[in-house]
Amino acid sequence: MLGNISHSSRQGRFVPRFRCKSGLRAILLVFALLFLRAEKITAQANAANPSAAQPTHEVVDEVNRTVRVPLVPMRIVSLAPNLTETVYALGLQDRLVGDTDYCDYPPEAQKKPKVGGAINPNLEQIAALRPDLVLVTKDLNRLDTVRALDTLGIPSYSTDAAHTIDGIISSTEKLADILGAAQAGKVVGDDLHHRLATLQEKLRSVPATHVLFVVWTEPLISAGRNTFIADALRKAGAISIVDSTQDWPQMSLEEVVHLQPDYLVFAAAHAAEGTRDFEALVNRPGWHLLDAVRNRHYAVISDAVNRPAPRIISAIEDLARQLHPASFQDSRSPEKEIVPTNSTSPAHHPRAALFTPDSFGGACLTESACAL
Amino acid sequence: MRPLTLERLLLRCGLLALILFGVVVVSLKMGAVQVSLYGLGRDLIQVLLGRSSAISTDYGMIVLDIRLPRILLGIVVGASLSVAGASFQALLRNPLADPYVLGISSGAALGAIIALIAETHMAISPELAGLITPFGAFIGAAVTIAAVYLLGMRDGQIESSTLLLGGIISASFLSAVIMFLMTTLSGSNLRGTAFWMMGDLSTPQPKSLLYLVGIGFVVAAGAIYTTSSDLNLLLAGEKEAMHLGVEVSRVRIVVYIAASLLTGLAVSVSGTIGYVGLLVPHVMRLIWGSDHRMLIPASALGGAIALVVADTLARTVTAPSELSVGAMTAMAGAPLFIYLLRRRIA
Repeated sequence: MLGNISHSSRQGRFVPRFRCKSGLRAILLVFALLFLRAEKITAQANAANPSAAQPTHEVVDEVNRTVRVPLVPMRIVSLAPNLTETVYALGLQDRLVGDTDYCDYPPEAQKKPKVGGAINPNLEQIAALRPDLVLVTKDLNRLDTVRALDTLGIPSYSTDAAHTIDGIISSTEKLADILGAAQAGKVVGDDLHHRLATLQEKLRSVPATHVLFVVWTEPLISAGRNTFIADALRKAGAISIVDSTQDWPQMSLEEVVHLQPDYLVFAAAHAAEGTRDFEALVNRPGWHLLDAVRNRHYAVISDAVNRPAPRIISAIEDLARQLHPASFQDSRSPEKEIVPTNSTSPAHHPRAALFTPDSFGGACLTESACAL
Repeated sequence: MRPLTLERLLLRCGLLALILFGVVVVSLKMGAVQVSLYGLGRDLIQVLLGRSSAISTDYGMIVLDIRLPRILLGIVVGASLSVAGASFQALLRNPLADPYVLGISSGAALGAIIALIAETHMAISPELAGLITPFGAFIGAAVTIAAVYLLGMRDGQIESSTLLLGGIISASFLSAVIMFLMTTLSGSNLRGTAFWMMGDLSTPQPKSLLYLVGIGFVVAAGAIYTTSSDLNLLLAGEKEAMHLGVEVSRVRIVVYIAASLLTGLAVSVSGTIGYVGLLVPHVMRLIWGSDHRMLIPASALGGAIALVVADTLARTVTAPSELSVGAMTAMAGAPLFIYLLRRRIA
């Protein structure tokens, strides 16, 4: 190191600064030029955008942004699994041109072109799909993503974070409206409301079961009172022992033992997975202090309960059935056949998407599945 | 080592600039969406000639509106971090100094998170909203720099080991505060911050901000370059430099403020990206020696090359999903750093 310095001082003071800087400046200038040109091009590109020819209208989305969207969006990209599910539930999957890596339900959704994760989607990939509407949710996506889409001139519609089951249903209907399928939205919404009402009728006389909803086992995380999961539990004739204002509170075992839930509730893609989670908890020190663990009082329901999409009603019905079997014994409700009319793809049956029993170990997930 | 002449300096800078140009072209070609090299070359020439209407619209959008700004951002951020790293290393006469180690990046991250929290409670016009986070990051960086500087002072003198320790302690304290905020506040905006803290070039920044960062880089790097001969003498020690006629305190202030500005600007648009500021100057020093008249421009170009390469990998390795560029630089940087360390000892 010292050698170098003596070299340079022996060298005397040449002044290379300006020459070198001008070289750098020239490079920067070239890039700046490219940059400016790029801006001009985009302006032209946006002007020549074919979607401009489509009739559009201004709508206010659930986070109170006023956005200009096509009357009937034909190339939809969904950036959240619950929105993908909702699009399928409405029977609009033919207009869905892309979704995220996490969009795994219904299984066909996995075959759609992927644009990366929900939190860091690939903008290039989105732009390449030439969407006329991108669906995002405040629950999952980043504000930065929405801003980036705005900059690129790609319209986006955002749903708000869901807090209640009714909110999920009305959000579904609103989304159907935006997608130009208000009729399908009404059919799906009415069906969900009807099923919830039927369920409430059955559960009217039973006291609510105290449950611990396990979001994550290590560390133990449950759902707070303002989440739609807490509302789903209430709708299923259960009440969470956790009364936290935090959405995803980390629980200490002490507190759980003190609150003594009647049941532990697990959400899993496969019933066996939930059982495995339960066994893992049982074998951990201290957990035998829970009556629910000693009596093996636990319920495993579909992980649909974790997604604010129409399918959550099936998970609610399933949980109610497991927690209050007596209420379901005699009554086998006659299934009301509702076939929604669908303007875009009449061949499709929205119910199929709603009620397809997933890989859930043959468990009877829904009323309709049982009735069949 | 042969003495540094003007020709040699220009030659080396030119070589690095050429490599950078090649990397940029390759990076423009690569991505989740396939683009042919021939088509890319033809379209770039058309853009330079002003015949941009010949380019198809969505293709133009992807390459020119998404990829190119991102690459330019990578160039400026990489150059800023490397020049800041080289300056801090000279100023503190410690090879470990870099913006990340000095806690400045963590301070910027905390500032950004506080700005995000504040933003959700204020009604702000969308044009301004995009600038709030970078502004918060810059304030956070500036405050941390001042705090670490004060921590490192002993009897009116900067003590480099105390300063470094102060930086490391500040970084871990600030990270703890960030963890606390992220646990207690579960707003949806905070979800992105974990990703942001790992370093992220994928979010397009407002154009005005990009120009600001570019101008900031030219001014700050220029200011540091004017002190490069003094930095050479400073390597021998502050007293020795003073005897040789260097105004040590003036150099220190200029370099410290300029390097902090570079860091603050870089972090405000890209989050915390480690290892670039630490490693690139070391590599450049190994190749061409520690004369700062050479080292600073070489670090700027080298940092730009390194970050553009890292970001290209980050967005192509798992396409269409993206890795964060900070994870990429750490993955490549940590082993390289250990290699350099062992080599120096041997």
